[in-house]
Amino acid sequence: MMKQQIPRLIVLVFGSFLLFQFFVPHESSEWIYEFLLDWNIIIGVFALAVGIWSLFNVHVEKIKIRKFGWKYSYVTVIGFVGMVTFGLTAQNGQEWGWFFPFLAAVVLTVLMIVQAGASKGNALLFLGAAAFFALAAAVIAWLDTTWSFYFQTAVPLQSFMFRRMFDNVLVSLHATMFSLLAFFIASAAYRAFRARNVMASLLLIAALVVMSRFNPYLEPIFGEQVSRLSNWLMNVPNLAAQRAVIMGVGLGMVATALKVVLGIERNYMGKG
Amino acid sequence: MSRLAVVVFVLICAAFALSWAVRAGVTGGDHALREAFLVTLSAFMTLAIMSFMYRDNPYYKFAEHLFVGISAAYWMCVGFWSTIVGNLVPRISENLSEFFKVPYSGGGLDFDLFFLPYRYFYMIPIVLGILLLMRLVPKAGWLSRWPLAFIVGTFAGLNLIRYLQSDFVNQISATFVPLFVEWHGFGDFIGQLSLAADGQFVAMMTNLIIFLGVLCGLIYFFFSKEHTGWFGGASRLGIWILMITFGASFGYTVMGRISLLVGRLTFLFRDWLGIMS
Amino acid sequence: MRHKLKLVLVLVLCAWTTAAAQTDTVLIDPVSAAPVLPPPLPVTNLQAQDTDNDHGHAITLTWEKSADDGAGRNSVLAYEIFRWFPFQMDVVDALRKSVSETRDAVRAFRIDLPRAEHALRELREDPGKLRTLRFNVARPDDSTFQLTADYAIRALEDTIAFIREHGPILKNRIKPLQQDLEKALAELPQAYADYPRDGEWRSLGKALVGSTSYTNTGAKESTDKDFIPDYTDLYYRVEAITVDESIRSEAVTVGPVQSRGQWFHAGRVPVLGFVLMFFVFTLTFVQMAKKGANLYVRPLSGIEAVDDAIGRATEMGRPILYLLGLGDATQVSTIASFSVLGRVAKRVAEYQTSIIVPCYDPVVMAVAQEVVKSSYLDAGRSDDYKQESVFFVTNYQFAYVAAVNGIMLRERPATNIYMGKFMAESLLLAETGTLAGSIQIAGTDEIAQIPFFIVACDYTLIGEELYAASAYLGREPVLLGSLKAQDWAKVVIMAVALIGMLGTALGWPAFAQLLQVTG
Repeated sequence: MMKQQIPRLIVLVFGSFLLFQFFVPHESSEWIYEFLLDWNIIIGVFALAVGIWSLFNVHVEKIKIRKFGWKYSYVTVIGFVGMVTFGLTAQNGQEWGWFFPFLAAVVLTVLMIVQAGASKGNALLFLGAAAFFALAAAVIAWLDTTWSFYFQTAVPLQSFMFRRMFDNVLVSLHATMFSLLAFFIASAAYRAFRARNVMASLLLIAALVVMSRFNPYLEPIFGEQVSRLSNWLMNVPNLAAQRAVIMGVGLGMVATALKVVLGIERNYMGKG
Repeated sequence: MSRLAVVVFVLICAAFALSWAVRAGVTGGDHALREAFLVTLSAFMTLAIMSFMYRDNPYYKFAEHLFVGISAAYWMCVGFWSTIVGNLVPRISENLSEFFKVPYSGGGLDFDLFFLPYRYFYMIPIVLGILLLMRLVPKAGWLSRWPLAFIVGTFAGLNLIRYLQSDFVNQISATFVPLFVEWHGFGDFIGQLSLAADGQFVAMMTNLIIFLGVLCGLIYFFFSKEHTGWFGGASRLGIWILMITFGASFGYTVMGRISLLVGRLTFLFRDWLGIMS
Repeated sequence: MRHKLKLVLVLVLCAWTTAAAQTDTVLIDPVSAAPVLPPPLPVTNLQAQDTDNDHGHAITLTWEKSADDGAGRNSVLAYEIFRWFPFQMDVVDALRKSVSETRDAVRAFRIDLPRAEHALRELREDPGKLRTLRFNVARPDDSTFQLTADYAIRALEDTIAFIREHGPILKNRIKPLQQDLEKALAELPQAYADYPRDGEWRSLGKALVGSTSYTNTGAKESTDKDFIPDYTDLYYRVEAITVDESIRSEAVTVGPVQSRGQWFHAGRVPVLGFVLMFFVFTLTFVQMAKKGANLYVRPLSGIEAVDDAIGRATEMGRPILYLLGLGDATQVSTIASFSVLGRVAKRVAEYQTSIIVPCYDPVVMAVAQEVVKSSYLDAGRSDDYKQESVFFVTNYQFAYVAAVNGIMLRERPATNIYMGKFMAESLLLAETGTLAGSIQIAGTDEIAQIPFFIVACDYTLIGEELYAASAYLGREPVLLGSLKAQDWAKVVIMAVALIGMLGTALGWPAFAQLLQVTG
C-alpha cells in the first residue's frame, strides 16, 4: 500500500486538482496553484544532493574498478570541489593571503575521501589523511582574514575566481562544443543529401532552396525567385506541417498525461 | 604513456607557455600575466574540445571531465544561492533569513491557514525533499516515490490542460481558413485570375494547401488504420509535406551553426593569437 | 500748384497708411480670440460590473459614446476614468513604502557592516591600501576634494558607528510598521463605505475616442499600490475630454460595485469540452481493450527496429545507450521516455545485455533508476541490475553532451536510443553515435530537432510517434486502447476543422466562435 497505492493516490489527487484548477479562476485556487508550484521548486532543491551523490558515486566506482579512463575522474572531482569553494568564498580585499593553500587542503581532503571510498583495504589511512587536510583547511580559514566564507548573500557568485572560472573555462568550453555543430552539420548534410528516395529528395531540395536564399551569388542568376520560393516554403507547407505535428504532439502529450493521472501509466513509479 | 605522447605533451605545454608569455608582453599594463593566462587557458580549452574532431584523445578527455566537474559545481552553487537561499529560506524562517541576509517574505503579511501560520505549510515540501534523499539509503529508497509521484502528478495535470489549449484547441481554431477569399462570383474570379502574390487565386491556393497539408499530416499520424488506398495516398502526401518542412528547417539552421564556429575562430585568431584585428 | 501737390501727397500718404494698416497681419491672442468650445456631451448608460472569468480585483465599465464622439461637434478626444479613493489608501501606501524602505535599509546595513569593518582594519594596518580600498567612503560634494587615509578612516569609523546605532533601531521598527499596515488594510473596506466623505476622485487613465469600455484591473496583493479590494463598494466616474483638457463633459458617476473572483471560467468551456471528450474516449477504449477487443495498430519501423537493435547489441557484447533528453521529470516527453525505457530495459534484462543511462536531471535519474530496476525485476533478473548504470552527469547542456560523446567513443555502444526532449545538441549526439558505429533510434517532439535526427539516425519517431512508442513496445491492451482514443480525437479534429472551414467559407462564423477560448 505504502509503496504503490499512496504514490498513485498522490498522482491522482494533485494531477486532478491542477487539471480542474484551470477552470477555477478564483483567487484561492490560484493561491493553491502557486503554492504547489513552490513546493516543486523546494523539492527540486533536495534533488541537488541526490545528483551530486550520484556523480561522486560514479567516479568513485570508476576509480575503484580502474575502469578505462579512471584517472580523469580525479579531474572531475578537483574541478567540482574547486568551483564549489569559489562559489562559497570571496576576497575581503585585494590580497589572496592563504586562499590557495586552503583550496589545496580542501581539494586534498575530498580526494582522500574519494580514495577511501575507492580503495580496497586502506580506507582508514585515507580517511585519516582526509581528517588531517580538513583540519589544515579549518585552521587556515580561521586565521586568514584576507578572504572569508560568505553564506550571506550571493557575494561569492560575483567573486573574482568564480567569475573567471565561469567566463574563461565554462563559457569557452560551452561555446566550443556548440561550434562543433558547424562541422557536424556539414557531415550530416553530406550523408543525407544523397537523395536515395523521394523523401530524401524533398528534404534536400527544400534545404537547398532555403539555404540559397542567403547566397549573394545566386541573386544575379535567379533574381528574386529563390527568395520568393523560400518565403513560400516557410509560410505555406511549413506552416501546414508544423500545425499537423503540433496537433499530433499535443494529442500525444494529453493522452500520456491523462494516462499518468488516471494511473494507467505507472512505469515511472517502479515496482517492489 | 608512450614516448611520443610525452614529447607531444611537452611540446604543447611549451607552445602554450610561449603564447602566454607573448600575450602578456603584448597586453601590458596591470595584471598582464594574469589576463594573458586566462586567455591562454580559454584557448587551450577551445582547442582541446576541437581536437575531438580528429579523434578521442587525452586533451579532450581532460577538458570533458573538467567541464563536467565545473558545470556540476556551478549548477550546485547557483542552485544553492538562487533556490535554497533565494526561494526557500525567505519563506520558512525569519532567523535563517536574517543569517543569510535575505528579505524575509513570509513575514510580509502573515495569515493563518487552518489555524496555523501559512509558512508552516512549507514544511511539507521540505519533508518530501527529505524523503527524496532516502534514495541514498537502499532499504528506504521506496520512500522517494512519494515526492516523485507529487512532481510527476502535478505537472501531468498541469501540462495536460496547458497543451490541450495551446496545441489542440488553438491550433484547430487557426485551421479555420477561408476557402474563398474576396469572392464576388465566378465571373469576377476568372476575370481577375493572375499569379500575383497578393492576388485572389494565390491566396485561395495558399489556404487550400495549408488546410490539405494539415489534414494529410494528421492522416500520416493515424495509427489505427493501415495506410493503403486513398488513405495511404493522403498519408504519403502528408509525409512529403513534412519532409519539405524538415528540409526547410534544416536549411534555416545551417547559417546559425556556421556563425557559432566563426565566433570561436574569431576568439582564437583575434583574442589569443592577435593575428586578426 | 505746389500747394495742391502737397495736398495730393498728404492724401496719398493717408490712403496708403490706411490701406497698409488694413492689410497688416494683426497678432491675435489665440486664447481670447478663439471661439470657446462648449463642453462635450457626457457618456450615457454608464454601467459598472465585476469583470468576468477572473480572480477578482477588476471592474469593467461600459458606456454609450458621447453624442459629440464622431458626430455632433466631434470634439471628444478621449474619456478619462476616475475612481473614488478614500484617504485611508494614502495611509496604506505610506506604510507600505515605509516597511519596504526600512527592510531595504536593514539589509544594506547587514551587507555594509562587515565590509566597512574589513576596510577599516586594512587601512589601519597599511594606509597605503587607500588606493585599492573596496568600500565607497562618503565624501563631501566638492570636486576639488582629495581623499586621504585619515579622512577615510574617520569616515569608516563614523559609518560603522552609525550602522551599529541605527541598524537595531530600524530592525525593531519593521514589525510595528507591519502591524500598522495590517491594521490600516483592515480599515479599508469601512473607508470605502464612507463615500463620499474622506476621499477624493483620482484618475485611473484614459480610454481612446470611440471606446465604449474600460477595465480597471488591480493587483491582488494587499501590499501592492494597485490593490483593489474585493467585496468592497467602489465608485467610478467617466468624463469626456477635448483637446483642451480643462473643457470636459459633465461627470457621470456609477456605483457602488464590488469585485469578486469567479468559481468557473466560462471562457474556457471549449477546453473543458475537449477534456471530457478525451476522458470518455480513453475510458471507453481502455474498457474495450480490457474486454479483449482486437485493436489493430499499423507497424512503425522505428519501434520494430528496437528488438533487432537490442539483439545486435547482445551479439556484439556491447551495451545499449539510452538518453532521456534534456527535459526534467515535469515534461510529458520525458514521462513518455520513461515508458519506453521501461520496456527497453526489460528486453535488455531478458537478453542479459547491459544498458547505460546517463541523465541530465537528478529527479529524472531517480525515476529512471526506479524504472530500470523494476524492469529487471519483471524480467526475473533483479541480480543483474546495477544502480551505477543509471547515473547523473551534469545539469549543463553541453557539458552533458561532452560527457555522453566521451561515453559513446569509449564504451562503443551497439545501439543508441534517444527518446525525449532534445535541443541543439541533437546533431552532436547523433553524429558522434554514427562515428562510433552505433545503430541509432531517435524520437522527439521538438520540431526543430527532428530534421537532424532524420538525417543522422537510422530510425526516427516523429512527434506523436514518441508518445505511441510505449503502447507499441508493450502491446498492453490498456495502452493500445489509449492509442485508439488518440486516433479518434484526430478524427474529431479533422471533422471540426472541415466544418469550421466550410462554415467560414459560407459566412457562418458562429462555429469558429464556439472554439474561441478567452482568458
